[in-house]
Amino acid sequence: MSPAVGDPIPEWVMPEVSAERMRTMAALLRDPNPLHWDRDAVASLPLNLGRRTINQGPLGLGYMVNMLHAWAGAGSIRRMVTRFPQVVLDGEEVIARGRITNLHSAAGELLADCSIWLEHAERGILLEGEATVSLATDNQAT
Amino acid sequence: MPAHIVPAQAEIEALAGHRFAGGEYRIAHWENVLLTGCTGTELLPDGLAHPSSLFHLPIAGAGTSIAEMFALGKAESDLSIMIESYEWEFYQPLREEIDYRVEGAIHSSQRIQEVDREYDRIQFRFDIALTSGEPVARSLVTWHYTRNTL
Repeated sequence: MSPAVGDPIPEWVMPEVSAERMRTMAALLRDPNPLHWDRDAVASLPLNLGRRTINQGPLGLGYMVNMLHAWAGAGSIRRMVTRFPQVVLDGEEVIARGRITNLHSAAGELLADCSIWLEHAERGILLEGEATVSLATDNQAT
Repeated sequence: MPAHIVPAQAEIEALAGHRFAGGEYRIAHWENVLLTGCTGTELLPDGLAHPSSLFHLPIAGAGTSIAEMFALGKAESDLSIMIESYEWEFYQPLREEIDYRVEGAIHSSQRIQEVDREYDRIQFRFDIALTSGEPVARSLVTWHYTRNTL
């Protein structure tokens, strides 16, 4: 890997956000919020989202984690900040994308600061944030 | 929609500094398998836990729950909470089947007045360490408790 500032991170696609996975996640998280498992509850909100459940934050964020892992390897994430300007809905195809914004070294590691986001073809950016990822030790980097 | 009674600003601000009991949490293998699968990828190698575990691990480990966090901020309902951000730092990767020590507290709590709405912005901070005390990770959860908006 010969990273440079401005390089894009290979995208990671979630072809269809699953309502069933949200139900499993709700149980794992012990998350009582019906937004994640009750389409009627979502439809009752003044948000014009229709009868679709809303993905848990850690799930949508997880797609960006998967992108970073596919690129830099499991265990490479040092810091990750995620903001949630829009919700992610069941049935949607979403794509995690990112770009290197800075390269620096610390404690012998080559670290990449990245801008990361999750986007939907029609609704635009749903989640956005920054991550710092370990790419290699200094003497491995080229 | 009936109006909900908005808690006093001073009551919200007094939440800052509230400490949870603290405790320990272990990510079970089955739990890691299911959570990782929910994110749409394969189990990570070498016993690594999916980093998205840094949401529920500290909440449960600190001795609290999402339901209690909603209740502390006097949420109007489960539907009234909006996420601002999750800020995570990993000093080392999370692993399954390891006991983690967790301390948690309300980091800040404030009333926000905007032109067309008001809400309460509450930040929860969780510090995760090995039982030896070696730091592992930190999680900062920032939620908006909307008031008569949703």
